[in-house]
Amino acid sequence: MKMSNRLIILLILGVLLFLMGYRGYNWSLDHYEYMTIGQVTGDIANDREAKIAALKCMSCHTYTQRDGFFLQFAEKDYTSPYNLAVSSDNRRLFVTGQESNALYIVDLASDRIISKIPVGDYPHSVAVSRDGQKAYVTNQWSNSVSVVDVDNGTAGKTIKTGGGPAGLVLDHDEEFLYVANTYTSDISVIDLNQGVESKRLRAGNYPTGINISPDGRQVLAVSQRSVLVEYRDPPKTEITVIDAGTRRVRQRIHFEEAHIMEKVDFSPSGDLAFTTLVRPKNLVPAVQVESGWMMTFALGVISLETGSMYQLPLDEPNMFYADPFDVRITPDGKQAFISHSGGDYISVLDIDKVREVIQQIDEGLILNAENDLMLSEAYITKRIPTGSNPKGMVMSPDGNRLYIAERLTDRIGVLNTQTLELERMITMSSADQQALLRRGQQLFNNSGRTFQNQYSCYSCHPNDHEDGLTYDMDFYPGEDLSNVQTLRELAGTSPFKWNGNNVSIYMQCGMRFSTFVTRTEAFSPEDLNALVGYITSQIQHPPNLYRGPGEELTEAQRRGKELFERTRTNDGRMIAEIDQCITCHPPPHFTDRLKHDVGTATDRDNHTEFLTPHLNNIYESAPYLHDGRANTLEELWTIYNDDDLHGVANDMTKDQLNDLIEYLLSIGSAEYYK
Amino acid sequence: MKTNIQKFALRILILAAAIIALLFFSSGFVINIFDDGDSSTTETGLAEEITATVELENDSVESDENASQPMPIYGNWQVFTTEDGLPSNKVNTVKIDEGRILVGTDRGLAVLENNQWTIYTPEDGLAHRNVLSIDVDEDSGDVWIGTMDGLNRWSAGVFERFDQFNSGLANNVVYEVSADGRYTWIATTAGANRYDTYTNQWKIFNEETSPMHEPWCYGITSAENKAYIAAWGGGVLEYNNDTGTFRVYRDPDGHFNLTLFPDDGLIHDITTGVAFDNGTLWVSTYFGLGRYNGQRWWGYLDHDTGLTSTFINAVKAKNSVAYLATDYGLNTFDGTTWVTYNTIDGSKNGETIITNGENEEKLITDSAISHRFIWNMDVQDDVIWVATSYGLTRGVVVGYVDETIL
Repeated sequence: MKMSNRLIILLILGVLLFLMGYRGYNWSLDHYEYMTIGQVTGDIANDREAKIAALKCMSCHTYTQRDGFFLQFAEKDYTSPYNLAVSSDNRRLFVTGQESNALYIVDLASDRIISKIPVGDYPHSVAVSRDGQKAYVTNQWSNSVSVVDVDNGTAGKTIKTGGGPAGLVLDHDEEFLYVANTYTSDISVIDLNQGVESKRLRAGNYPTGINISPDGRQVLAVSQRSVLVEYRDPPKTEITVIDAGTRRVRQRIHFEEAHIMEKVDFSPSGDLAFTTLVRPKNLVPAVQVESGWMMTFALGVISLETGSMYQLPLDEPNMFYADPFDVRITPDGKQAFISHSGGDYISVLDIDKVREVIQQIDEGLILNAENDLMLSEAYITKRIPTGSNPKGMVMSPDGNRLYIAERLTDRIGVLNTQTLELERMITMSSADQQALLRRGQQLFNNSGRTFQNQYSCYSCHPNDHEDGLTYDMDFYPGEDLSNVQTLRELAGTSPFKWNGNNVSIYMQCGMRFSTFVTRTEAFSPEDLNALVGYITSQIQHPPNLYRGPGEELTEAQRRGKELFERTRTNDGRMIAEIDQCITCHPPPHFTDRLKHDVGTATDRDNHTEFLTPHLNNIYESAPYLHDGRANTLEELWTIYNDDDLHGVANDMTKDQLNDLIEYLLSIGSAEYYK
Repeated sequence: MKTNIQKFALRILILAAAIIALLFFSSGFVINIFDDGDSSTTETGLAEEITATVELENDSVESDENASQPMPIYGNWQVFTTEDGLPSNKVNTVKIDEGRILVGTDRGLAVLENNQWTIYTPEDGLAHRNVLSIDVDEDSGDVWIGTMDGLNRWSAGVFERFDQFNSGLANNVVYEVSADGRYTWIATTAGANRYDTYTNQWKIFNEETSPMHEPWCYGITSAENKAYIAAWGGGVLEYNNDTGTFRVYRDPDGHFNLTLFPDDGLIHDITTGVAFDNGTLWVSTYFGLGRYNGQRWWGYLDHDTGLTSTFINAVKAKNSVAYLATDYGLNTFDGTTWVTYNTIDGSKNGETIITNGENEEKLITDSAISHRFIWNMDVQDDVIWVATSYGLTRGVVVGYVDETIL
């Protein structure tokens, strides 16, 4: 045996002996407590040995590493049905499999999958032609639409779109396809005769849902994120109204103090449009969660005749129904169904009652309707529990069945709209839905661990990212504001939070989390294992829109990179190492994981130093800075860097600043920098 | 030794062939090519400027392909001032947008629709009250507004602001904006911008990133996947979107205060506006008008043509007719015939002068444009709107120039 091998074996034996020895054992416990402080409560809270038995070393050292040894054995064969369409003869169901990159065609007579058609990455939604011959699938991570020949079961032509195509809808003549591009915040108008994108229209911020009115004259697109507002102004989120005749934006209307509008549907008479929305209370301290005041969930109603807009609560005074996703209305216009992807429920609404409430609001008989949680009993007739994370829904043409994509149980629920009972399930995969990481994914998307089920992790971190809002996380209003950060690619980048106080995700999601944020019992050790495992093992950034994998930097990006790494100012003066961009933002995550004072603290902050944020896909994370003060990357240097504390940049010309930003836009997944 | 001599001879041969090829291809004109606008020098390190072939031919025999279209004569002038609802009589620009008229004044944006004026000011989201330029994107219908302090995209009633602090805009003083589907082009005092509305990326063209002599840009337009930039003191830059390369058009004689040969190239480097229509580039300068058909230039001065003043603030072109905003009346020109419109001092009447070569016809009209100092204008179908330093004027086509008039 070689000497080096002997030394390695001796080293391993030494470490094992150290760990097994008294000092090593105590060091292990200290390390464990430091990394996971406070996350285990109850009877074993003061028993160090019991705690370590509950939260095993393996949790941190295997699952929570993206390329850890055990992760390769994790279950990955999920379908994750996301959105649905049904053929006009009600014989076939079309299902996008978000995690399997496929479109599934289900025979509704036998409830069997008859075709699995590979499409692009992260398929989001599907629309089907009236004759059932063609299906159009948005590939959110491929920036394209796949045109599927249904009879042949093949995806043929691929049409380029904007970034992150999500919802889509055909016009009534099936000549144009409207696609909501989430990441580029616009709408692709695709000429189906030519098979190309004919134009792109500016939409709201992160549009996802899109639908066409029954008369075919207008298209409505709803957005997830608020438009960029003045600092500390409440969010307002756009509904983009497109004239289907001119294919131009005709109107931009906003729901005030609301965001995360995922889907939109019309009453059959076309007088009302319905959307799901979230009403965040991000401007008041989050401690008010115990007063039911962190966020509420509502139905947004738009009168297309009068232009009036209403927000009607979907919650009850002591029970919340988190993360409403889809809304579907029966052909007779009597009932609406809303999927609560965080609450695992379907809410059934009586639309006649909704109309009565609206009339009373108009007459001034109901005031402050959007915050009156008692109001929901007037129009919500039933809550129907579902499997995990119900997302997209589609109504059968006769209105007798509602198909529900239960994303995290890989099933399609079939609801009888007459009896309001779930009458059967269509299984989409045989993957283990209780495997550790899947369990973590379910927990992440579920509101069951917050006080009165007020919200889930998803509520502030939609799509494992962030919601673009700044929350007031201190006890005192306006202090220690916290701009929500992405959860993508966190593994190995501790510590966390803007103040860098949490040394691990365990600490972030443990007891401290329940004390300050969820106001309920902390996660059990098993659930915490699963949740942390999910957060740190799987979540990736979408492909960068400004630089594809393997692509060379453009000239502007290359110049920007030189500025990012420069050591001298334009006039030749040396830039101190700490004032160089690259020092605090080194690849692969472009963070040194340390705290720095970059001159951005205000007199309302309790800290002057903030943890260096990641820069991967930073273009998806506006607004910027710890308190969300900067609406654009430019403002970081043109407005908030007077003293060059956030890197020496005041000598840069406008061209150089533009180049620097071009480079920042091009910084993609950390994978490419390892 | 023999091998080395052979290699040397071969190199000489290749070099000679390259020089011959270079001379052959550059015999007509010299093209200045830049790499995507990102470098200010060519491979040889020289920023050469283009000089058109000098062809001193008789101007009057040359006619455009579409010159057969009749030259319109406008009249029935209708004047709008503050008394009619304008926020100010200083009207910088005007744009016809389907059923409405967008008017840029020094006190806000005025919109005439259904005979009603609506005024928009910074309180509504306008970047600055002094509106300098307006354009409408034909694809989206979005209105782009250049002001003295930033740029707006006005889309379906919502103002979105771009400035040099929150975006890649080169400078907040936006003299002209041109919307062309995916790209919006902006002329500012510190260079020109191309804003990619699909990706939200900004590109700056200035003296550092393009062969621009000076970054002060007064005019910009885009057509056929190219952009034309009127750089004050730097002539005209043509940017090709496909290749990312520039051509530069400069005044070949280089004289600031005189024009030796009007047709030797761009008439003057002090350019104020550009328009492209039917294969013809029109360039307004403070020292005359330039016209370029892709092969040769024509220059026009006021002493030997119908042009009423060489001080031209802006140029537009439509259906092979150029519309010129001068400090002494509104001029139109189709390459052969001039029709100019002016006020008559001390009278409410106006005068219309039709000139073709030596022939001239003067018409006295019952109505007149509101002021002879013209800032800008826009035409659509048989209607023209004129922005002047005192009021806004609307005219309609009242006839066409034909041989019987002259």
